[in-house]
Order: sequence, then structure tokens, then C-alpha cells
Amino acid sequence: MFNAIAEPQRREILALLRTGERPVTELAQELGLTQPGASKHLRVLREVGLVRDRKEGKHRVYGLDARGLRPVHEWSGGFAQFWNESFDRLDAYVQDLEQQHQEE
Amino acid sequence: MSTTEHGTPTTTATADREVVVSRTIDAPRERVFEAFTEVRHLTQWWGPDGFTTTTRAFEFRVGGEWDFTMRGPDGTVYPEWISWTEITAPERIAFVHGESADDAKAFETVLTFAPDGAGTRIRMHTVFPTREQRDEAVEKYHAIEGGQQTLGNLAAYVASGG
Repeated sequence: MFNAIAEPQRREILALLRTGERPVTELAQELGLTQPGASKHLRVLREVGLVRDRKEGKHRVYGLDARGLRPVHEWSGGFAQFWNESFDRLDAYVQDLEQQHQEE
Repeated sequence: MSTTEHGTPTTTATADREVVVSRTIDAPRERVFEAFTEVRHLTQWWGPDGFTTTTRAFEFRVGGEWDFTMRGPDGTVYPEWISWTEITAPERIAFVHGESADDAKAFETVLTFAPDGAGTRIRMHTVFPTREQRDEAVEKYHAIEGGQQTLGNLAAYVASGG
């Protein structure tokens, strides 16, 4: 579960779904992903119970699954989330650092 | 770039009192390791967005200490203390982390750095003395993050039916 939300694009998907259900094509377009790429993220999120899907006419739409989000609330706001966000900053910082080393 | 380990954490003897966070960083291992070894690097990324650190003492060696405070976006200041127990460049760093040198609730963290393509996979494994202390740390860090736009807020929003 906590690994499922460590991935920034999956966090973006969850943030987008906050405003309501969407089909995979729309999510892919918003995030600049291929449709198979977006589908793969959605599958991971669905497996851990963060996202549910249902059929609407010919399409399938995805939405947040509040049941799965309860434990995430306990965890992600805590220790693991602290480190996920620190590692976001570390990632950006070491890339700058590497750039500097190459220029030297 | 970032990847994750799929599935639920494996069950081990310490499963109920540990936290594992892993992440692939898009830079060579030596560079990622370097970012953990000097205070001028650490202050650039330690903590979520909006957090700053102030260092009182820093000596990166086994038995050495990092004595610092962390200040959150709301102005709250948190005392922090780290003492390294193992340093193996560029693959492994272990340390004890608490609020001060005499913190009975200090916990152990092991960081491992593995090459992953052109990037580096970091695995951070923290084991707390007891499950209660893990839950307490989770609560504490939850409080630290209070007020930030995190997935935690999103979950609270959804759970409250908003």
C-alpha cells in the first residue's frame, strides 16, 4: 500500500481523482502518459484498494476508494510520507549536484 | 524517475515495528551517497518542502553525531539527533535517530544504496524498539506534516465524505 503511493505519478492520479471519476484516457492525457502506462498505475492503485472502477455505458471510469484511503491517512501523513517527500527533494538535488560535477 | 516495490510488505519478525521506504533516484550511486555525507548537502533536501534545518554539530563518522533542529512551515521547531553506527561508502549507512543523545525512544535506520540502471535505488529500513514506538513516531511525523497539502489531507477529505 505505502509503496503504491510512493510513486509521484500515482499520487498525481489520486489528486486528479479527488475532483471526481474519470476514464483512463482523460487521466493519461492530463498526466502526459500513454494509456497503457496510466492503466498500469491504476491497476496498482486498484490492487491496494485506493481506486475502484465501474462501467459507465461503454467506458470504464475510475474513482477514489475511501475505504483504502483510511490506513493511508494514518501512514502517509506520517513517517513514510516524510521520507517520500524528502526523497523527492533529494532526487532533484543530486541531479543538480551531478550536473555541477560534470561541468567541473 | 521513481519506482516502487509492488505488493504488501513481507512479514518478518520485525514487521509490526518497522517502516520501509524505497525509491529510485535518477543519479549515480556515488552522487546519491555524497548527498548524505555533508551538512551542506543534507540541508538542501532533508525534510518535506517548506522545512529547514539548523545544525549545531555535525561529524560524519561512526560514533559521530548530527545535532540539529528542524523547523516546519508553521514555525514549529523539532529537536533532532542522529549518530552513525555504520558507514560503508557508497553502499550503506546506518544510524540511530532520536530527539537527543539521551532519547530512550531513538530508533535505528539502515540506508542501502544499490545501482539501478543509470540511477540508484535507496532502501530505508527503520526498526523501532516496539510497535507502540513505531506508531508513536508515525503519529509524531503525522503531526509534523500537519497543514500540508499531502495525500493524508486528501484521505481525510475523502474519509469525511467531503
